[in-house]
Amino acid sequence: MDRETVERVARTAHIRLTEDEIARYSSDLAEILTYFELLDEAPGNDRRGINPIEVADVLRDDEPRMEMDPDVLLRDMETYERYVRGPRLS
Amino acid sequence: MSMRSTLETLERVNSKYLMFHAKTSDTDPGDARFLFSAKDNLTSKDMETCAGSRILEGYFPPFDATVIARMREAGGKLIGKTNMDEFGFGTFSTNSGLEVPRNPFDLERACGGSSGGSACAAAVFEDHPSLGVSTGGSICCPASFCGVYGIAPTYGRVSRYGLIDYGNSLDKIGVLSSKAGDLRRYINIIAGRDEKDPTSCVQPELKDERTPVRSVAVPKEGVEGLSKNVEAAFTNALDELRRMGIEVETVDMPSLKYAMPAYYVLATSEASTNLARYVGMRYGRQDGDLSLKFDDYFSDVRSRYFGDEAKRRILLGTFTRMVGYSDRYYSKARQVREVVIDDYKRVLRDHDAVLAPTMPFTAPRFDDISKMSALDSYKADYLTVPANLAGVPHLNVPCGYDGDGMPIGMQFVADHWNENALFTMAEDWEKEFDLRRPEVSA
Repeated sequence: MDRETVERVARTAHIRLTEDEIARYSSDLAEILTYFELLDEAPGNDRRGINPIEVADVLRDDEPRMEMDPDVLLRDMETYERYVRGPRLS
Repeated sequence: MSMRSTLETLERVNSKYLMFHAKTSDTDPGDARFLFSAKDNLTSKDMETCAGSRILEGYFPPFDATVIARMREAGGKLIGKTNMDEFGFGTFSTNSGLEVPRNPFDLERACGGSSGGSACAAAVFEDHPSLGVSTGGSICCPASFCGVYGIAPTYGRVSRYGLIDYGNSLDKIGVLSSKAGDLRRYINIIAGRDEKDPTSCVQPELKDERTPVRSVAVPKEGVEGLSKNVEAAFTNALDELRRMGIEVETVDMPSLKYAMPAYYVLATSEASTNLARYVGMRYGRQDGDLSLKFDDYFSDVRSRYFGDEAKRRILLGTFTRMVGYSDRYYSKARQVREVVIDDYKRVLRDHDAVLAPTMPFTAPRFDDISKMSALDSYKADYLTVPANLAGVPHLNVPCGYDGDGMPIGMQFVADHWNENALFTMAEDWEKEFDLRRPEVSA
């Protein structure tokens, strides 16, 4: 994979790479993608399931319920006045 | 060894083998009926849960995974969370941000991965079931390297609620133990429908019955590229199976060679979306610089705490899902999965199980692993990946030892939902095979 593609993919994935990492992943991923070319010659199939078994929708009754106390969930979170703390949006 | 003495020596044993990241400090088993351990990607109320990643350091989940809750309800006491490759990304348990478990048969060698700590615990402690998780072979590989029995059931047989996802369409929770009978016993405890995981809700009932294996198919593709000692042990094991009255036939499974690339495309695609949730907020590491803009904050935390292999798989999975590439990779990989499933179904019409060695070599030394490229390491999984891709249940049974005394394993694969054939096979094999336990000292 060329250097520009690695940088573009890393930006999309929110990963910052050092110069060494760009060089290493570029070479590793090129090798792996060459191996993936085997897929081009593999037979196709009409089916393309998301899961290896048939799954069915399972819906519960539409009744409100509280599975977990919000205070328990907040226990280990960095919070400010019961709001989760996060970075600035702009 | 009594439960009390296991607990009393836990600290010392763990400092030698490093099977646990978090562990209990209790020395009194109380009214526990049995002790167990669980891979560290299964959430547990009373123990830190990191999935081998520094980005989750400090995470104490407020709930138990369904499997841990069911083991506790059955009288189990959780004694430790087992070390693993970060998020399950590896074959040797060496891709960890935390501790790397050591093989109980030779401390200079790996336990296999990614459920390496679970296989280590199952080998070292007597009467000890350990819960593992398999995405591409992460139960059978370490079970093979550590000389224990291990089963990954059908995809959907065991609820994944509380599992820290790697690849949602591939992850399966199973059991490792030095006793064959434990596989049946504990899968029966953890299996069954759970409304918190819809994929567990379509399963037929798991009946407690014997289903003897009468014929096995050995795919030609499964006996290529083996080391000499694995080949020899496997040949002897086939003779033993014939002596047990089981028919052995060689078959062609041409789809198997496509399973590897299809698996790695699906696994990394799913992993890269699953790992998007780790941004330094809500749980785990939350020590980023809040004065940064959100893009920079997320990138900073993720770049600092994800390990090398996690970054590689995130990059790979993000790439293969990108516009312009997803038809060639992700969509094709889903078709190939169906082709592999069809191939297993075809062979399993005439046979009760498909059989091959579990790993092409015995547990490697840590210094040899460090010389392997990422692709070399991926390719080591070629025997365990196809069954995982297809979601069919598979079992490792120890079948021999090499000249250095390192365990060798073979893997039986049965049809969807037919775990009983594998339980029965393990129980029958155990009567014929002289299992060696490692010499444990602490």
